[in-house]
Amino acid sequence: MQYRQKRSGKLSTVFVVGILVLCLVPLFLKTSSLTISNSFLQLNTIFLSILIEAIPFVLIGVLIAGFIQIFITEDHIRAWIPKNKFLAVLMSCVVGAVFPACECGIVPIVRRLIGKGVPLYAGVGFLLTGPLINPIVILSTYMAFGNNKEIAILRMGVGFAAALAIALVVSVLFKTNQLKNAKELQRSKTKAKKQPLVPRISEMFKHSIDEFFDMSKYLIAGAFVAAFLQTYVSTQSLLQLGNTQVQSTLVMMALAFVLSLCSEADAFIGASFRNVFPTTSILAFLVYGPMIDLKNTIMLLSVFKAKFVFVLFVLITSIVFLFVTLSSLL
Amino acid sequence: MIFHFQHFLKALLLGLFTLYFANLHLTGDISKYINPKYDFMSKMAAILFFILLLIQITRIWSEKHSHHTCSHNCDHDHGNSHWNLKRIVGYSIVAFPIITGFMIPPATLDASIAANKGFLVGKENSQGSFLMEGAESLVEKEHIDIYSSDVDDIALPNENYLSESEYDERFRLLQESETIEMADDMFSTYYGEINDNPKTYAGKKIKLSGFVFKEKGFESNQLVISRFLITHCIADASIIGFLTEFDGADTIQEDTWVEIDGVIEVGSYDGYELPILKVTSLSVIDEPSEPYIYPVLKLLGN
Repeated sequence: MQYRQKRSGKLSTVFVVGILVLCLVPLFLKTSSLTISNSFLQLNTIFLSILIEAIPFVLIGVLIAGFIQIFITEDHIRAWIPKNKFLAVLMSCVVGAVFPACECGIVPIVRRLIGKGVPLYAGVGFLLTGPLINPIVILSTYMAFGNNKEIAILRMGVGFAAALAIALVVSVLFKTNQLKNAKELQRSKTKAKKQPLVPRISEMFKHSIDEFFDMSKYLIAGAFVAAFLQTYVSTQSLLQLGNTQVQSTLVMMALAFVLSLCSEADAFIGASFRNVFPTTSILAFLVYGPMIDLKNTIMLLSVFKAKFVFVLFVLITSIVFLFVTLSSLL
Repeated sequence: MIFHFQHFLKALLLGLFTLYFANLHLTGDISKYINPKYDFMSKMAAILFFILLLIQITRIWSEKHSHHTCSHNCDHDHGNSHWNLKRIVGYSIVAFPIITGFMIPPATLDASIAANKGFLVGKENSQGSFLMEGAESLVEKEHIDIYSSDVDDIALPNENYLSESEYDERFRLLQESETIEMADDMFSTYYGEINDNPKTYAGKKIKLSGFVFKEKGFESNQLVISRFLITHCIADASIIGFLTEFDGADTIQEDTWVEIDGVIEVGSYDGYELPILKVTSLSVIDEPSEPYIYPVLKLLGN
């Protein structure tokens, strides 16, 4: 035991020295002397740009998660969430709709809420509407489609209905909270003893830091895969598959998943496909992307059991497809 | 006093993140990744990282060795447990972008990415003309900027804010001047307008710069002079540009930056009507320090 600890201590020292050296190298060496393939340079730039865009939102997310962890008790949650399943789902979707978040920032918040005793289905409702329906997204969608209210309203309406349906199906299919870590299941009541405010705030920040390290590795992995696909896979080849409305809708959903765009920026990309695909397919892109994409699937896998993430993925995909298609018949 | 190695490591990484974000702003490299309009978010990130760093530093040393008893029934890693492979992989992943970020200079997107994204010419990818509409509607309608506070209203060169009157003036210039100058700040607007109404602008002279991009199936005298339009970050870049014709286009390599004078003509490609530029003079230039263009944002009430 003693020996093992020593060994891992050594290993970690080697590791940290390695990081330090790697970070200091560029100070002494002009990196241009390193020959890195051009495509990797492109990949790295896209990868970092996704991170630089997402990290501020994740930081806000982990701070909110830290706040929930320290200041919100299970009693609060019990008092707030309606007993009736349908009402609970409805409420969570509405709360998500007024809460501005992006799809990566919201994952730590949902994890913390469910850990605190929010039922899974309510957490899912919040997870789905949070990034999709908020003032910034409404505004950017409205603008991207040339001040066309119709698309913005459809996006919000169809998205809200789909989120409700998905959360309700989840409430029927799953009885437990589906969190990955078993410890989370043994919820002990938060100690009611009131600590002074300052240590609690410091405790909140500490939780946020740990949460950041927990979450960011998945965000980083997801961003890397998304950048990889952007660099090496042609969107063009994908577009040529979409001949019928069903095909083009599926193509646009696949595109939304792979591109992993932030919900605030995706409307402009969606708008750029208007000549190529029918409105229905573009609507699918706009509704599907904020609910699930590559980057946040990887983050969800870190929080929930793989089986649940898979079922959720299938549910979101099929229900969004169905609802969007139905909306075109209206 | 007990030294907690993992807490130290987290502090180190937070410190490096703080430096990385601060450095992006100090060197101006941020514009190679993000539309400068959103600078505020990454500045805020640098400040938040710094605050977290200060808090984290207090955890590196503790009075006595006590495993943090988790009164808050949390499940995450508090960094008090021992090392294992999973943890090493975790920290390595977090360190990875910092390492590549510091070591590898940002690249400018090039024609290989353009080819993946697809372009306006041709049937499958007529989205190019689309793009423009998106950009144009932005121009026409974006009276409100969703991120910036009032303090940020001072127009920085690259932020591409224009007041209403300035914008109208620039737009009028497009219609009245004999030679259209495709300046960076109005590039996407002018491009949209010309692409939408090629007949209106046929016969006018035009001056623009961009990088060379070629689609499969181009004639030997065809190429596209293109720019990337960045809405938020590089990952959402879309490509816009004019189909350009002149003898010897095949001798110019992709990704070469060129400046041309030419005349707008109405032509067609794959049955789509579009403006085609006939080059009168062309010169090869260095890649500009600001290779990207951004949608115009009009300020209301100026």
